[in-house]
Amino acid sequence: MIVAARIFFVGGLTSFRALFYWLTPWIYIPTMLIAPIFQILLFAYIGRSAHLRSDEFYVIGNALQYSSIPCLFAMAQSIGGERFQDTLSAILVSPAARIPLFFGRSLPVVLNGALVSAFSLAVGSLILGVHLPASSFAPLALVVLIAAFSCTGLGLINAALSLRIRENAVLSNVIFGFLLIFTGANVPLDDLPSWMSTAAQGLPFTHAIAAARKLANGAGLGDVGGLVGAELLVGAIYGVAGFLLLRWFETISRRHASLERS
Amino acid sequence: MAAIEAAELRRTYKTHTGTFRRRAKEIEAVRGISFAVEPGELFGLLGPNGAGKTTTIKMLITLLIPTGGSARVLGLDVVHQAREVRKRIGYVFGGERGVYERLSGYDNLRYFAELYGVPAREQKRRIEELLELVGLKGREQERAEGYSRGMKQRLHVARGLLHDPEVLFLDEPTIGLDPVGAREVRATIASLTEAGKTVLLTTHYMFEADALCDRIAVISKGSIVAEGTPLDLKRGVAQGSVVEVEVFGIADEALERVRALGGVVAVAIEEREQAQVLVVQTEPDVELTQAILSHLNGSDVGRISRREPTLEDAYVALVSE
Repeated sequence: MIVAARIFFVGGLTSFRALFYWLTPWIYIPTMLIAPIFQILLFAYIGRSAHLRSDEFYVIGNALQYSSIPCLFAMAQSIGGERFQDTLSAILVSPAARIPLFFGRSLPVVLNGALVSAFSLAVGSLILGVHLPASSFAPLALVVLIAAFSCTGLGLINAALSLRIRENAVLSNVIFGFLLIFTGANVPLDDLPSWMSTAAQGLPFTHAIAAARKLANGAGLGDVGGLVGAELLVGAIYGVAGFLLLRWFETISRRHASLERS
Repeated sequence: MAAIEAAELRRTYKTHTGTFRRRAKEIEAVRGISFAVEPGELFGLLGPNGAGKTTTIKMLITLLIPTGGSARVLGLDVVHQAREVRKRIGYVFGGERGVYERLSGYDNLRYFAELYGVPAREQKRRIEELLELVGLKGREQERAEGYSRGMKQRLHVARGLLHDPEVLFLDEPTIGLDPVGAREVRATIASLTEAGKTVLLTTHYMFEADALCDRIAVISKGSIVAEGTPLDLKRGVAQGSVVEVEVFGIADEALERVRALGGVVAVAIEEREQAQVLVVQTEPDVELTQAILSHLNGSDVGRISRREPTLEDAYVALVSE
């Protein structure tokens, strides 16, 4: 149990340091802290000029949705990067239990994703003059964390696919586009075609964004319990599916030597 | 009970060519090999590139499932008891990749100590011991990206020993190292059997296998072509002689004609500075110098010499068969 906990926490953090060495402030600040503000401003000004929704609508939607960049890309890199550095076989030949090994890698990703969203929410609100009640700060922080968790679950599926395909960044970009359109970040679900709003129920962010907007409008955490629970459930389902996919690819790699292939 | 046992071990790969009209092709990398390594023995698997050494080692360390035969490590089946096997073995591969470049040598070891379940209170002592053993003491806080190839290779060795495994698999651990670095790694390997470890070493350097191994199996094209102590293998090819002819631009047809001569055991071409050297091993009491030269029409011929066979020639003869 202690071994598993150490692999989860210490191992997870060490592997994050090992695989994200290239993430210097010169890359991190423009990509993770400035780019989401551009996205928020773009959609907020489109919304203003077209007289659509309030600035608050776009700040919350885009701040939460942008954590898909760290969550999808970093989670894929946390597994695919091992393949790139030729360290994957050393990992797989170890007897380490796979649940803490793989899920431990997701913990720093969740925390980083939440940090990116929280920063974007705070700075986006300041720039556009969006007022968020002080009482909503703590529940909003929780929802931001759960949204990052949920998207990291999807990222784990992305990570598993990186064991089979090299062009994982392309896939991450495509998923980012889906989440931008489907989750209600910029277009209310009611205004989307019905099949899209139905599909959105199974995607990360949809419920978290709805919950965050209600919290910003004065609702309490208890009022959004259903939405928060749904977001957690979506993330958990993706996370379990991603883990099972990783295990499956690991098993078939022993049979087909597929980890050696490009 | 043998520490490592392979029985009719076989591995085929399926590859595909073409994008639209895909064609499957089956490659036999390992063709039913059998051998046993006793506890405390240093066993060498010697063969040229592509002979099946790495595929064999990958099956033994549970990374690949054999397509035929079976293998056991410490009595445990490598397919069905993979996790138990992994707890008891260490794996070291050659080359400078495979370490976390931006982590220090110490953190590289610490991470794998976690994965192998080395208790936290023992990690520091164990890592210190291993740094001492592989000669990285004093450099452990530096990032691995600044290490030489030899240092990275010794870091690999330390990583493979973190959990004090009973059996160690070393896959071409001196590949690409300069002579000094290779000598340091070989000294580390030699000390492992003194510590009671069972070691399976793959290499394509005959002299390395000769210097380190208790027994050697020579593998060529997926099959074991000779097995025994280094002395046994030397005896097998100690007779005969070697004719070396310095040539400049030898045609493939000429090479084939020399190979077809009666009394020729093996033919190889070696690149030495500006020239190629045709190395012909012959059977005992056979004089082929004139016959060889008669087939080299059209090539510029330089120095010609005749000498006794070396271990390198023995190896070439075995893998050329």
